Amino acid sequence: MTPPREDPVLHGARREALVVLAVWLTAMAYTVGYCYAFGYGRDPETLAFVFGFPDWVFWGIVTPWTICTLFSAWFAFAFMTDDDLGAEQAEESLTVEEPPHG
Amino acid sequence: MADPASTSAGIGTLMALLLFIAASVWLGTVAQRVVEKGSFLKGYFLGNRGLGAWALALTATVQSGGTFMGFPSYVYTSGWIVALWISAYMVVPISGFGVLGKRFAQLSRRTGAITVPDLLRARFASPATGLMASLLIMFFMTFMMVAQFKAGALVMKISWPGSGALALVEDAHGGNDRFYYLGLAIFSLTVVGYTLIGGFLAAVWTDLFQSVMMFVGVMILLPLTLMAAGGLAASSEKLRYEVTVKAISKDERAAHLPGRAAAEERLRELDAVLRRSAERTSAERTSAERTSAERTSAERTSAERTSAERTSAERTSAERQTAPPPSTKQLLLASKAESASSWFDPITGKPLQLFGYEAPLDIPGSVQRRLLVLTPPDDAGWQSALYSNGRVRSGLFSRPGELNSGPGPFDWQPLGLAFSFFFVWVFSGMGSPSGMVRIMACKDTRTIRRSIFLLACYNMCIYLPLIVICICGRTLLPDLAVSDEIIPRLALLGTEGIWGGSFIAGLILAAPFGAVMATVSSYLVVIASGLVHDVYQRFINPNASERTVRRLSHAMMIVMGTVAVAANLYPPLFLQALVVFSGTCGATTFVAPALMVAFWRRATAAGTMAAMGVGVATTVSLYAVGWMTTHSFKPYEPCGLHPVVWGLAISHLAGIVVSLCTSPPPAPLVSKLFDAPPGNA
Repeated sequence: MTPPREDPVLHGARREALVVLAVWLTAMAYTVGYCYAFGYGRDPETLAFVFGFPDWVFWGIVTPWTICTLFSAWFAFAFMTDDDLGAEQAEESLTVEEPPHG
Repeated sequence: MADPASTSAGIGTLMALLLFIAASVWLGTVAQRVVEKGSFLKGYFLGNRGLGAWALALTATVQSGGTFMGFPSYVYTSGWIVALWISAYMVVPISGFGVLGKRFAQLSRRTGAITVPDLLRARFASPATGLMASLLIMFFMTFMMVAQFKAGALVMKISWPGSGALALVEDAHGGNDRFYYLGLAIFSLTVVGYTLIGGFLAAVWTDLFQSVMMFVGVMILLPLTLMAAGGLAASSEKLRYEVTVKAISKDERAAHLPGRAAAEERLRELDAVLRRSAERTSAERTSAERTSAERTSAERTSAERTSAERTSAERTSAERQTAPPPSTKQLLLASKAESASSWFDPITGKPLQLFGYEAPLDIPGSVQRRLLVLTPPDDAGWQSALYSNGRVRSGLFSRPGELNSGPGPFDWQPLGLAFSFFFVWVFSGMGSPSGMVRIMACKDTRTIRRSIFLLACYNMCIYLPLIVICICGRTLLPDLAVSDEIIPRLALLGTEGIWGGSFIAGLILAAPFGAVMATVSSYLVVIASGLVHDVYQRFINPNASERTVRRLSHAMMIVMGTVAVAANLYPPLFLQALVVFSGTCGATTFVAPALMVAFWRRATAAGTMAAMGVGVATTVSLYAVGWMTTHSFKPYEPCGLHPVVWGLAISHLAGIVVSLCTSPPPAPLVSKLFDAPPGNA
């Protein structure tokens, strides 16, 4: 007996969830790591500003935020697939429909 | 600027608030017409699964009113480190919709689920799992909702012309005067009213409306503030050495302040010396300029004299404007003769710390200023500071420059917490029951995809500008006694003298009000659906008629509203902390079960219940330990990690272990939800 085929929506959703997990870990590691390395205990004398942002904020937060936004666009429009969510199942209705007023 | 008479909002604010209320009620009635089309339950609690991309994107994971009110105040007091605190929002769009979105939308259709507990119940064919989820949701959502009522009442109160306040002052008295009670009454009637009329869709639409208004407000405020502050770079430079003063109790102040008199006197003396030196320098310069101007004009012929004098006079005044006034360093060098020795703190005997050598003094009493001189800390850690506008103040200061660096003033965000907030924001977005319901209500997968992109743009355009606005605000209005007032004050300051400025300021002020209304109404819907659908219909009266369900839903909303009003007659404190607490509870209770429901065939009812129970227990007990040890609403953080990290870890572990120890769920049930439908093979 062949096992039933896995739901394609589940398959796609799992693939997408794993990519999101990877992006989340990367973003967290980079942002927290960069800010910790260059922003924590920073001597105010040496602080430089990029477009008015302290350098560590610009490279550690503003830049990855921009990249994540661009990534979200790619994820939403190129990576994530459209799936049929299936028909609405007959409501597990507990209410007793009232007869139409006549 | 910052005229004490203008501490209260004008009539424009009240108009903007009334606009918000009118729009919300209107949206409620429109929603009602849509709801009437289908079955009551799916319409009233799920909007007939018709949410489009905008409604989904801007309402499902955007945090509550508390965030919008608390966050600017954090930036104001703690500086750039708050950018790291909020930075996890860069991945919230893909994590909020990209992980559970499709599966929840699909599973809720396959099972006909209306609420999150419905889905859990159907997935495991276990009424107990559903009931447990329902009770947990109601438990922490009720707390949150009660707190939001206070926020709503306070925003209403501060918008009242003549109330004399501009922001939430969370003191022990909570500002409960007649304005507060009036605000509470109007707020409660409005929000319960329109939610009752329109149900889920009313909550979503008003949420969308306020999200858009918030965006408009931020977009108006950004250029106004940047212009007023002379750009972000100028503001950042001014804040290079800025310090934050810790809030101190009256007793501490009384104990320490008198002892600071000598140090303060010393700083005033130094200021006087600097100013005398500045006057002398500027007098010398003016006389030199005059001499040169006279000489130039004397060389001209009389025919040319009139025009030459004018040119020369123009040039001189231009020179006087462009030639930079002497910097603090020059003044100090010039005053060297006056102060025989260098400057010492009379209390500790150590030399004073000097900052910002390059910039000049500011006019005495002007609002904007930089830190100039700081005394070394005494035994109790107290210091006194002299600012460039001649102001002297004492207190517990953060180290100079900490507004520009981690971990921020007073160790605001240690490394462990920086990591933790990547968990807090990401998973509280994912685990919020009101957010999950909205995903269940989305139209199709195209909606989910477009929502991801919309929310990504929205988050970037809200949070980064808000940080910039508040950093500029810190230089424009450095001495706010109540840091929560920063956005309202900037709105009033920035719109001064603009046509319709009062109304624009009103819109910006009303944004938090809208945010609070939206949050409350979405909670009302979730709680009412929990009580009526998950408890009453499931366990008390499964055969209830539609009319009974409808009446009961309305009654529950009124009851919840009344409970919230009653609780707010003595308003709760710690609004922002409650937002984080509730988000943490949501994340630690529902993220693991949701992932198990969506992706793990082997998950069992017992495992899911264990994940929920252990998760919430971890969070609550860490908060309880924190409460007992610090007597404030701060969690205990083992290894410097926020409870959300521990709760999530333990919840996942419990879910997995208990699932594996219990017998597998029935195969046909799993197959129904995990395999392709037979006709589709």
